[in-house]
Amino acid sequence: MVHALGLSDRLVGTAFLDAQVVEPYAAAQQGKPYTADLPQREALLAANPDFVLAGYNNVFTTTGDESISTRADLAALGVQSWINAPLCPSADGLSDEAIDPAQVSMETVYADLRSLGRVLGAQQRSEELVAELQAKVATVQERVAGKERPQVAILLNDDDGSYRVASGIDFGTRVLEMAGAENAFGDLTERRHVAVSKEELIARDPDVILTSTCCDASYTVADGEPDVQQIRADPALAGSTAVREGRVYPFLFADRAAGIRAPYAAERVADLVHPE
Amino acid sequence: MTVALRPRAAAPWALPGAVVLVVAGTVLSMKVGARPLSWAELSDGLLHFSGAPSDFVVRHVRLPRTLCGLLAGACLGLAGTVAQGITRNPLAGPDTLGVNAGAAAAMIAVMTAGIGSLAGHVWFGFLGGAVAALTVYAIGGSGRDGATPVKLALAGAAVSALLTAVTSAFVLLDRDLFARYRYWIIGSLARAELPTVGQALPFAVAGIVLAVLLVRRLDAVALGEDASRSLGARPGPTRAAGLVAVVVLAGTATALAGPVVFVGLVAPHAARALVGTAHRWVLPLSALLAAGLVLIADVAGRVVIAPEEIHIGVTAALLGGPVFLHLVRTRKVAAL
Repeated sequence: MVHALGLSDRLVGTAFLDAQVVEPYAAAQQGKPYTADLPQREALLAANPDFVLAGYNNVFTTTGDESISTRADLAALGVQSWINAPLCPSADGLSDEAIDPAQVSMETVYADLRSLGRVLGAQQRSEELVAELQAKVATVQERVAGKERPQVAILLNDDDGSYRVASGIDFGTRVLEMAGAENAFGDLTERRHVAVSKEELIARDPDVILTSTCCDASYTVADGEPDVQQIRADPALAGSTAVREGRVYPFLFADRAAGIRAPYAAERVADLVHPE
Repeated sequence: MTVALRPRAAAPWALPGAVVLVVAGTVLSMKVGARPLSWAELSDGLLHFSGAPSDFVVRHVRLPRTLCGLLAGACLGLAGTVAQGITRNPLAGPDTLGVNAGAAAAMIAVMTAGIGSLAGHVWFGFLGGAVAALTVYAIGGSGRDGATPVKLALAGAAVSALLTAVTSAFVLLDRDLFARYRYWIIGSLARAELPTVGQALPFAVAGIVLAVLLVRRLDAVALGEDASRSLGARPGPTRAAGLVAVVVLAGTATALAGPVVFVGLVAPHAARALVGTAHRWVLPLSALLAAGLVLIADVAGRVVIAPEEIHIGVTAALLGGPVFLHLVRTRKVAAL
């Protein structure tokens, strides 16, 4: 987001990218200080930032293995913080429970970009950026308007061979909708990711399966191929529509985040689910 | 050598009842899930595989899961009974002999080295459990009296503490490793696959045969060190053979379902409450009760918070806990 707002020179550190920075801004990330793991609290403060921008709520929770500091604690040290509104904890200490489903929309992302532009003094650029993204989304939506909306499942491959799916409150659901598809697990809304049995997957029988490949700053869509192979090789899923018709595609976790990637991701998903 | 044991005027219905429990558990495990299956879908899936969605559910989800549950449960029930028998310790289980701590440490070692998938790791767990148990036996068996129950229990506790410290150190320092370890330690039948069942079967059979061969010797050991020696029994070799049986049985169960320790503790107690202490009754009954508990706990885990699932390690303890408490309150549990 910072790159897109044209403020790359202000970044004192970046960390824990889930995939390669999206194409028009990939070059801007080159040479920026980067750590693969989330920084510990001390390391974060050592970079002496004025402003911390987080994409996910778990870094600001009071407990949890990814927590760095609460926003209140940072504020006490004079460090302002920001978190994208669709995932914003209503109070410090909450993670997915804080997600307000009504906030999980592109409108919130645009509002975020405008506010962030104002906060960081790049108001004009933020307006341009919002317009760019809106145009992109409009183009995609025009293309898929009136077409049948296939059922899509976004699967996370877990280490023990089981799967979790992205639920209705995950931003991925919005990406699917923009692309003229529907989340096959959109009715689940308690958490962003839900561990479902293979039986449930077989029963819901999505038309298309997307992986949720994560997390390394070098990842591109091609890195989702092993996840795709694993799903295709799962004997339990061999009879499902998506596997039989060869409609299991690599997809990046980063592409279903509330942010500027979403319109790009919607474009790609539209290509996949509406190839005609 | 025959040992006459107090024949408990015990429930003649206990064994048939346990068989009914296992059959009921098997049927439920095959029929209940994300979508209940009809009898027709079930028989089609088993006998006439045509590629229908229900066929995949039967063949690749329910069947491996049910077989895994049956096998793992039976192994846990036997392992617990033999472990309690050879140590004459009512709280004994594979964990008392260091088997679980060894398996966990070995899993962490291969996970850290990053070899292969979880399915590949489980056999390293088996090996780790065996090495730990042998160490426990070697330490507990040193000295003048050989492997007495107390020395075995103490050696087991010491080795377990050491291995657990190593495991914790690795797991707590590495977030990704912890995430992977968590899947294993919790115990689950959700990852069951038919090839794993096939690989586990020979080990399970070997363990079961060994346990059956030990029936009379376990009765003798149960009489206590002096009494059994005076009857001409040799507790030492019995303990060694029993230990091998425990390692094989618990290792197989762990490979199939993860370390579901509690089942192995509660099943023998429930069995003894029903049929007394003669191992020719306790062993089969404990195996059946454990298998029934595992299957029913797994089915419960599928339906309670559907479409999500609760892992068997949790549901088995939740279901077995009250039974165990009831036994503790109403009977002299330590009667071994």
